[in-house]
Amino acid sequence: MESTDRALLERKVRKAFQVLILQRGRNPGVKGWEMKRYLGRDYRKIVEVLSEDVSGLGLEVFEVKGADGTDDSSRFLLRFKEPPTVSEAETSGIRIDDLAVLAATIAFVNSKQGRAARREVEQFLREKFPKWRVEYSLDRYVKRGYLEQDERTMLHAGWRTHAEVDEKTLMTLILSRGQEPAKK
Amino acid sequence: MEEKRLEDLLRVIELCRSVETSSANPFDVDIKEKILLLRSRLPEWRFLDELLVDSEALLELTQIVKLQDEWLKHRASSLYIDPLLIQLKVKLLPKEALTEAFVKSWHPVAQVDQISPKGLEKAFVYWRDLSPMAERFKDEFGSYGVKPGLVDYQELVSLGVFTQTQFETGLKDLHNELMERSNGEWIDYMEFITSTDFETRVLRAYLLAFLISEGRASLKTEPLTGKIWVTALSTKAKGPTKSVAISILGGN
Repeated sequence: MESTDRALLERKVRKAFQVLILQRGRNPGVKGWEMKRYLGRDYRKIVEVLSEDVSGLGLEVFEVKGADGTDDSSRFLLRFKEPPTVSEAETSGIRIDDLAVLAATIAFVNSKQGRAARREVEQFLREKFPKWRVEYSLDRYVKRGYLEQDERTMLHAGWRTHAEVDEKTLMTLILSRGQEPAKK
Repeated sequence: MEEKRLEDLLRVIELCRSVETSSANPFDVDIKEKILLLRSRLPEWRFLDELLVDSEALLELTQIVKLQDEWLKHRASSLYIDPLLIQLKVKLLPKEALTEAFVKSWHPVAQVDQISPKGLEKAFVYWRDLSPMAERFKDEFGSYGVKPGLVDYQELVSLGVFTQTQFETGLKDLHNELMERSNGEWIDYMEFITSTDFETRVLRAYLLAFLISEGRASLKTEPLTGKIWVTALSTKAKGPTKSVAISILGGN
């Protein structure tokens, strides 16, 4: 590769990193059409190079497919390559109870073919969590994009769940855990 | 007969909606049967309303087909696990185990949510030039008025709506009228205050409220029918009182 090409590539990779790391809108990540505008038609190649570059820092560029499945509607994000440990998650200020509510909700929704009525989810969660926490957590996760609530109050996994959570691993881990005595 | 046919369509709509708003299996709806039903009924519809119900039923059926598509895709994906099994597992696992399972499958998004020096400068200039809340909307909405509240008798006198003499005479006249018309029986409140013009009706209601508050008249309501009855009392009533809100509407 010639030095001018290399310099151009490096500049584009740097630009891609800046575009992905800085939150622009309400939600993190950059849509495919925006990436094309910032980096040009061959933005996917740039993204691949960037993903390799940031892997040393424990990060990766992840693509979440949009509703219509087109390149333009895909959302690109920088995310942790490996999951954090429980203690790391705790130090980020997230409560264990809140994460447990989210895990149970995603598992429940997935077990219902990807959609469940909110009242059913609440009823299910109330067996384990207090009512106020269930309602508060569900509202919070809808707002943060982990869950989606449609006009018929049906809950689905949100774009953030598809971006951050390896749902298959989550379901497998839940199923593979043996019965343990619940801590009070 | 026509109603019965329309009822069939309404039942289709209702069935589809109940499936859409629950996690019921969308394949419980027999699409073919419902489409045939719609087709057989279609030539009979003559009015726009009937055709609208028909198209609504068709729309709901398309939603069910969409759900069936999603259902199949999900079932074919590796995420499909027997619902009862997963629900039982979630119920049995302690919160800590659920959290651990989540964290082990979690890849948090890395992002920087910060303001640039340029943005900070813009924010400072905006804040510096921002006029206080009290001033901000003055041009658009005028100054803040007095909040809605109660107008008491003294205020009405001060506004010139009543004079002291007029008010007392009015009260006395109304009490006499009520005494005469009720004659110890309960009479309809709305009929009693009724008048050709709205202002007089409100005035009579206002004076009657005074009589009731003073214990010179009594009022009872029937919660089931919503009827309000009133009667005059010759001696002042004693005992516990209750506040009742009555709306007086304009028009006849």
